[in-house]
Amino acid sequence: MGIIIAVISGKGGVGKTTAVANLGLGVAMNDKTCVVVDFDIGQRNLDMILGLENRVVYDMVQVMEGEATVKQALIRSKVNNNLQFLAASQSKDKSVLNSDKVYKLVKELKETFDYVILDSPAGIESGFEHTIEFADAAIIVVNPEVSSIRDADRAIGILDSKSQKVKDGEEVAKYLVINRIVANMVESGEMLNSEDILDILSIKLVGKVPEDKGVIDASNQGKPVILDKNSIAGQAYKRISARLCGKKVEMKNVEVSDSSLFTKIKGIFR
Amino acid sequence: MQSKQYSIKVYECSIEDETEFMLFFDVNYTLFKDHLILIHGDISDTIKEYLNSKSLTFLNNINLPKGRTRKALERDLAHEKRESEIDHIIAQTELVKLSNRLGNNLTVLDNMIRSGRELSVEGDLLLLNRVNSGALVKTTGNLIITQLVEGAIRCGGNFMMLTASHKANVIFHGVEVDNKFLVDKLSRVELKNNEIVITPVFKKEINWA
Repeated sequence: MGIIIAVISGKGGVGKTTAVANLGLGVAMNDKTCVVVDFDIGQRNLDMILGLENRVVYDMVQVMEGEATVKQALIRSKVNNNLQFLAASQSKDKSVLNSDKVYKLVKELKETFDYVILDSPAGIESGFEHTIEFADAAIIVVNPEVSSIRDADRAIGILDSKSQKVKDGEEVAKYLVINRIVANMVESGEMLNSEDILDILSIKLVGKVPEDKGVIDASNQGKPVILDKNSIAGQAYKRISARLCGKKVEMKNVEVSDSSLFTKIKGIFR
Repeated sequence: MQSKQYSIKVYECSIEDETEFMLFFDVNYTLFKDHLILIHGDISDTIKEYLNSKSLTFLNNINLPKGRTRKALERDLAHEKRESEIDHIIAQTELVKLSNRLGNNLTVLDNMIRSGRELSVEGDLLLLNRVNSGALVKTTGNLIITQLVEGAIRCGGNFMMLTASHKANVIFHGVEVDNKFLVDKLSRVELKNNEIVITPVFKKEINWA
């Protein structure tokens, strides 16, 4: 029996899908079986970031409608055997989802995988509500800026009132990932620091990801940045995945700029 | 450069009667022989000769730097501590005093009011948590919020007590309260004779009332 983790943000474009791809792969690299499910029906992206767009035959909606079995629809990752992927439908829209169908699907996935990571659509519409409905835990991705924080706050509020676990009188575990931190902007006070964000959201911090130009290229190539050993964002995702797998990894402070002579010289030749 | 630092003992005095002075040093010579003698006022050659003969080191009309004694420092620290304790007690008693005034239909909540939530309360509200940006708290009665307010407040009671950030939108009896009076300090907003009076709870702050 695994755990269902919904990755949510409220605001769009903060790096949810990137986080899902990297954390899914990271968890798989820690020898756990993992399935990543794209819940962003009508606007699927996760297949591209994982580099699996040409493998999609059946999607999640077809599985729910009974046109295909889960086994047929699952796509195994090219880079790690522990990771599988379930695509969203690109042609349908989110009105096809309903609670019973979602429950049946996630329950089946939960029984076969250690980790079921759901990529929520942006916003707080029905697609989002179905993603969080049966989640055991949620990862909230934010950028260090006020609009992202407020939207995340709203999303947490909905999570705390509409998820099945809360209705059963339990609590959904909530973990915060702060994405796209620019160290020298935090130092100069232009960007919110993590303490302020934690003050506002008051949930547990699971990791901070620094801004990294390599992320876009990695997404375009379909190779999640976690595979790049030299990428600072990749290392951050590696640490977060290890924490998700129950390992104790010290929090690295990515909010101070690395101004050693070596990095400065490296910066000149970049 | 080589240097040394050490403390010395200084005997500070001024001369009124030269014979008395010499007599005093004759008697107490052993006591003061290792001291630096600091004399205020003019000294005559006889005194100089006398001091030299006794091989006492002396200085004339000089202001020696004096460090503050540890006792004085401790006293200051204790004073500061007492001040902050008093402030704390004032805040506490103020809170108690006001919460005693709460009474009719009191709701006590310890939930974080997150963005998008609209909390509407009939009667008084004592809220022990934050109000985040994008949230709305509405009361018909009095209101006390013990943590930072960043959202919107609509209060229709006799008084409210809160600390707001510059993002907050606080409306008391249909009148918008200027945030700058509420930022970074616990303040009491009251209706007195059809006037809105804002009083910071800490006495150190400027009294706007």
